[in-house]
Amino acid sequence: MHYAKPPVGMLPNDRIAYSPIVNRKPLKLPNKARMVVWTVTNVEEWDPTQTMPRTVLTPPAGGSPMPDIPNWCWHEYGNRVGFWRLLQVYDDFKIPGVMNVNGVAVEAFPEMMKACVQRKWEFVGHGYTQRNMQKVENERADIRKSAEVLERVTGKRPRGWLGPGLTETWETADILAEEGYDYVADWVIDDQPVWLKTRARPILNIPYTQECNDVAMMLIQHHKANEFYERAMDQFEQIYKDAKALDSARVMAISVHPYIMGAPHRAKYFRMIFEKLRKKKDVLFWNGSQIADWFMKTGPKA
Amino acid sequence: MHPRERLSYSPIEGRAPLKLPKGVRMVIWPVLALEEWDMSRPMARMVISPPQGRPQQPDHPNWTWHEYGMRVGFWRLRRMYETLGIAPTVTLNARVCETYPAVVKACMDLGWELNAHGYDQVPMHKTEDQRGVIMRSMDIIEKFSGKRPRGWFGPGLTQTFDTLDHLSEAGIEYIGDWVLDDEPVTLKTTHKPVVALPYNFEIHDIVMMALQHQMSDAMHIRARDQFDCLYAESAERPKIMAIACHPYLSGVPHRFGHVQRTFTELLARDGVVAWDGARILDWYKTQA
Repeated sequence: MHYAKPPVGMLPNDRIAYSPIVNRKPLKLPNKARMVVWTVTNVEEWDPTQTMPRTVLTPPAGGSPMPDIPNWCWHEYGNRVGFWRLLQVYDDFKIPGVMNVNGVAVEAFPEMMKACVQRKWEFVGHGYTQRNMQKVENERADIRKSAEVLERVTGKRPRGWLGPGLTETWETADILAEEGYDYVADWVIDDQPVWLKTRARPILNIPYTQECNDVAMMLIQHHKANEFYERAMDQFEQIYKDAKALDSARVMAISVHPYIMGAPHRAKYFRMIFEKLRKKKDVLFWNGSQIADWFMKTGPKA
Repeated sequence: MHPRERLSYSPIEGRAPLKLPKGVRMVIWPVLALEEWDMSRPMARMVISPPQGRPQQPDHPNWTWHEYGMRVGFWRLRRMYETLGIAPTVTLNARVCETYPAVVKACMDLGWELNAHGYDQVPMHKTEDQRGVIMRSMDIIEKFSGKRPRGWFGPGLTQTFDTLDHLSEAGIEYIGDWVLDDEPVTLKTTHKPVVALPYNFEIHDIVMMALQHQMSDAMHIRARDQFDCLYAESAERPKIMAIACHPYLSGVPHRFGHVQRTFTELLARDGVVAWDGARILDWYKTQA
């Protein structure tokens, strides 16, 4: 099937060829580990002069209010209160933190950033603002500015990028590679890291998730809070089984937002996942950087 | 004003804990909302969406669904609160005093706090004269009950950038529209500061039932989980947990038992009390 080429960048099919997972050369992790779990916390700053990215309460009889105080505050609760609950779980179970954060949020919540820097969390680029990358006026400037802001607060440039709402333009991958990012996570296309072609050097994609993701589950699908735990267990069991059957490593992601899983009635279901999984001797808990380094060293070349 | 001009960001960790009276570690804030749905406008919420998606006017199915709440559901909830010794904050469209005086009188007879919730169920963004509506709502409730409301909830919790300034000018002392914390916070206005009490959209029957389509027992399950988390945290600092009910949702037979169980169980726990908004505000004002 031939699709019209976009005016800039590439078709996704041109960045990555189809490949069945069952035919690939088995991937091996250190110490006979079966799989890796990476746990991403997403922190955003929502501009009250723009439409809210998500809403929990629509106004009576509909409409799009400006400002949207109820939904702005509902999100802000996550930054003031919810985040600290999730942080406690990372601390209690020694999970390497991955802070996927808007550039503007770094400036708005210095105490939160400090807590993560102190714990040596990995910081990942998540747009300068919380907006669809296709609606950003200058994508390169946005990607570059995100890296600068993160470098200022952590002392190092971010290696990874996970766009707002996972949105990309035709050329996001090209720009990321050119701007010095080593990996992206917008492509929820596989259970293993994969290489993406760009017009410069290839860029790695690390498996992220729309399945074990609280935005999808709670805000869109309206599931009960314990679904977060149940689904993570089901997801884990299957991925582990697949990895064992072919003796080939897999990567599983868990994605949380402080205003969702940090709500009092949900926090425990995030904790329960690690109560179950952290003890498993053949499951590694890594950050994105560690996954990238491992795969670049032991996985197939681009 | 931009919300951040009214209130700076502050992480809850690191704040000096507030102090509740001896023996109290957690406050449940029960909120009961009474609304007037004008049939000449689209219904505020719908339980049954119109065939082919085109809104109907008049909308008998959804108007009568709401009306059940005032005719039947409210009385179920009233009896429950009374039996459990709970005096909720009753936030009401002022027009409810005109259309359902028996309901408002029933709240007054039990000494419940009346809180202003606009004139009828129209968002503040669609309100041309906010100051006028705010004053009118407060005047009507004061005239009916003999007491001027101290607190406000915007219809649908809506505000514009300057609603708080109008509210402060009108003498409102607290709002429930800002769901951004577990503790009361003080908001700057162009007049006197206004306190935002910790309301939420989590233990809230419109969000759970009308929007998220959760099962009937969700109020109980979710309130228990919410409570367990906050109660454990209340060992270190006081927590306030709001529970929001609307008669046409929580008052229907298949949900009511779960709502009743929720309040019964939570209030049986050590150190847990139910206070209305005015009482929480007065306590908060004693904290330096």
